[in-house]
Amino acid sequence: MEEKIKQIKEQALNEIDRAETGQVIEELRVRYLGRKSEISQLFSQIPKMDSADKGKYGKELNILKQTIATALDEKTGTFGAKEEKIDLTLPAASFQKGTKHVLSHTTEAICRIFEDLGFIVYEGTEIENEWHNFSALNIPLEHPSRDAFDTFYLDVPEKREGKYLLRSHTSPSQIHVMKKLKPPLAVISPGRVYRPDKVDASHSFMFHQVEGFCVDTDINFAHLKGVLLHFARRYYSPDVKLRFRPHFFPFTEPSAEVDVSCMICHQKGCSVCSQKGWIEILGCGMIHPNVLGACHIDPKKYQGFAFGMGVDRIAMQKYGINDIRLFYENDKRFLDQFDEV
Amino acid sequence: MKFSLNFVKEFIDLKITPEKLCELITSAGIEVEQYEKIENDWVFDVEVTSNRYDWLSHIGIAREIAAVSGIPVKVKYPKIITTPALKHKKIIIKNESDCPLYIGRRIAGVKVEKSPAWLRERVEHCGVSSVNNIVDITNYCMLKWGNPLHAFDYDKIEGDIYVRRAKKGEPFLGLDGKERELVPENLVIADHKKVIALAGVIGAKNTEVDEHTKNILLEAAIFSPVVTRRSRRLTVETDSSYRFERRVCPEYVEIASSHANELIHSFANGTFSGYAYAGKKPKERKKKIPLYFGHLEHYIGSAIPQKEIKTILTHLGFSLGASSKTKLDVNVPPFRLDVDQAVDLYEEIARVYGYDKIPSSLPSIKNRMPVGLYDFKKSLRDFLISMGLQETVTFSITSQELMERLQQGEGINLINPLRVQENMMRTTLLTGALDVIKHNLNQQTHNLEFFEIADIYKKQKDGFKETPSLAIAMSGGPEKACRLKGMIELLIKWLNIDMTGFEPDARAHFTNALKVSVEKKEIGFFGKLDKKTRDGFDIKEDIFFCEIDMAKLAGIKKDKKMKTFGRYPAVTRDISLAVHTDTLFKDIEEIITAHAGGYLQKIEVVDTYRGENIEKGYYGLTVRISYQSQEKTLTSDEVDALHGKIRQAITDRPGVQLR
Ligand SMILES: [Zn+2]
Repeated sequence: MEEKIKQIKEQALNEIDRAETGQVIEELRVRYLGRKSEISQLFSQIPKMDSADKGKYGKELNILKQTIATALDEKTGTFGAKEEKIDLTLPAASFQKGTKHVLSHTTEAICRIFEDLGFIVYEGTEIENEWHNFSALNIPLEHPSRDAFDTFYLDVPEKREGKYLLRSHTSPSQIHVMKKLKPPLAVISPGRVYRPDKVDASHSFMFHQVEGFCVDTDINFAHLKGVLLHFARRYYSPDVKLRFRPHFFPFTEPSAEVDVSCMICHQKGCSVCSQKGWIEILGCGMIHPNVLGACHIDPKKYQGFAFGMGVDRIAMQKYGINDIRLFYENDKRFLDQFDEV
Repeated sequence: MKFSLNFVKEFIDLKITPEKLCELITSAGIEVEQYEKIENDWVFDVEVTSNRYDWLSHIGIAREIAAVSGIPVKVKYPKIITTPALKHKKIIIKNESDCPLYIGRRIAGVKVEKSPAWLRERVEHCGVSSVNNIVDITNYCMLKWGNPLHAFDYDKIEGDIYVRRAKKGEPFLGLDGKERELVPENLVIADHKKVIALAGVIGAKNTEVDEHTKNILLEAAIFSPVVTRRSRRLTVETDSSYRFERRVCPEYVEIASSHANELIHSFANGTFSGYAYAGKKPKERKKKIPLYFGHLEHYIGSAIPQKEIKTILTHLGFSLGASSKTKLDVNVPPFRLDVDQAVDLYEEIARVYGYDKIPSSLPSIKNRMPVGLYDFKKSLRDFLISMGLQETVTFSITSQELMERLQQGEGINLINPLRVQENMMRTTLLTGALDVIKHNLNQQTHNLEFFEIADIYKKQKDGFKETPSLAIAMSGGPEKACRLKGMIELLIKWLNIDMTGFEPDARAHFTNALKVSVEKKEIGFFGKLDKKTRDGFDIKEDIFFCEIDMAKLAGIKKDKKMKTFGRYPAVTRDISLAVHTDTLFKDIEEIITAHAGGYLQKIEVVDTYRGENIEKGYYGLTVRISYQSQEKTLTSDEVDALHGKIRQAITDRPGVQLR
């Protein structure tokens, strides 16, 4: 027995010393320490021994087992670093990152700037009636935008507020909010809008707008300019310039269209700005007293401004997207490119 | 519209460069598309807003230039002669809402010939082709005053003149040489026998003024903008329809007509020989608006000097009444029907003063507006993206044919669709998901995982319902089913809800669909699109789809509260089963849960096996159960006892055997 223990110890330590891989070590572990190992067999002889030998050999076998186990562990420890080689020239694993649609991203980025100023987001409904989409916004009955050429009408039984339609702009949000709540109000309202435009590179029968308005006792045209300038500086660049051009909208008076200085050519003229140095981004104005009146807000006491912008167009300009249809095709190769969150 | 600088200079002594002029009028609201030099003239192509019909005339443009440049306009008005009355012909207007006023002048003995050079230049530079002296004079007067005129060959008119709606199918050969069949939407000028003009749009060939014409009838009128627009949409847009659609100045009808008469006398030897009219002549409009300087400042946010206000208004053609330190009475001229109240004056003053001179300042914002669903949508969007999903935006309008094929509730039709492919509002986001998956698979892009947040629209008994919804769609193999389910569970967990219920849902076109419920409330469904349906769309991969009501989803959201977690070690035990394919995993799960005595931490499927060594109709399933106590370390014996009970309970169930 004594001889056997010595022999196993020498052989095992020798083999462990020569082992070069983790796999060999594990094989040795099974061979020397496993259930069917020589040591196990020696252990099984112990119960047949007399009591003096039982104590002696039991102890020696345990020491042997411990010695081999320690040697195996130590050897394993020396591998790890040098053994498990990895080839970092292998191609990288591909990850699918979730992506926000560029129209959502643009909408959120626009809204966020106004939210930071204290505006709250309100989302209206897309199915509207004539009163909310036109009449309350001071758009007269004979106005061309009411024609079937410019607005989608829906097969829903007409009620007191006129025919049902798909909103042709986000401005009805103003009406919904002002009918329900009294000023002070500062609201930003994004969403889908619809117009029967034949689809081409720059037209889509569905597109997106962001409407904003602010009403209180002392909101004036200078505030409109200030808020929009703040927006443009945050969204485009701190050194952007704005140009307010007088324009006409039935629901605002005075009204303006707003251009930003072309950030691509720095107003030297380029294809993006049609050589004008300016890019039109939105329409705005002081809310017409008739609109406030329609919502039972006293125009003698309250005044405010409103503005509206096309999200699709802003995203197209910003990212150099030359075809509006790309937004709605949702080709993965397009979606993958807009991974800003 | 195009205007000529030389033409404008007939009314204003202007000495600025075209560049400067372009800048000035752009800042006042006349957007210059482009301008070019033609001979010794400059021609500006400008965009005119729909309210400013007065800008569709050179006099109107001149007034605007006067306001921005500070140089006054000089306008010479013609003398208005209305005698003798026209004999042998009456003018009859059938409906004065179609045509409030119609004036006819007979001019005799005209000599129709080529226009003199100055006249030809005026009309041609404005993009109107020169025809002959008579036609050119009518166009010249339109360009000058903004009121379209028309000259008929008097001798070709048979009987009286009617302003009436066309009969269905009535033939009409226009001066553009095009034959048209008219409809009752078209307002026409007719004699006893035939249509002689499409009112406000274009004249007829049958009464054309040519070199043989001796006598003419000069028409000046007001036609309804709406009627003109509808009529034009069915036929052709002309310089005339463009102006009538935007209204014409009623006071200038007589003026334009008289001026044309004078010019025809001078340049075509014509002699005025009869006057007739029908409808109502405009009453002199006396519109007075009180302007309070204080309110103007409060509204604009800038103090504009009173002197400057007065100059601006005067140059624009407004006349000033009584004035005090705080108030000024402003009289609105007849050519400014668009100016109706004080804010209209504020715009006139502010834009001419210069929007750029008004300062920019940030208001202090107060708000009564409560927060809505947007914030939830936004964070939901971020959450879905964090799971690796890609957001899509697809059309809300789809086809009735597709809606009927998918049978997902009754949709709302569009009354005026552009195409049959888009004639109904969708009742499910599935339409968009199918479109997007199909497109991408066709582009050889696979492994698709999309979501969309958008509204769906359903017809209801008393109208309709618009519901904000969330859809998740995946394409690929069967493993996507569990992936989608896992995402739904994670989504519910994100809302701080512990338990999600899945109940069978018999839904058309889906195999084994499940309703998703939270606290017994159904919030949506998910399932696999059946093969037949997907084949119908020619999609080659399995489609897994989930749709959830957004408002309900937001409604179940709970506040986050930290939960304690067990620090005592969990003990795992595996159990290998042969399960009949008709047995649902849910049944096994329920048995385990019921017998685990509150010590169940989780159940995992570690292996499934199909093939030989297993009874037909059965599959192998290895489940790993983790036991954990919140109070102590479970001993092996305790776990073995629990596990034994569970094994027994499972074995008792038909369709499940131990392996
Ligand atoms: Zn540029």
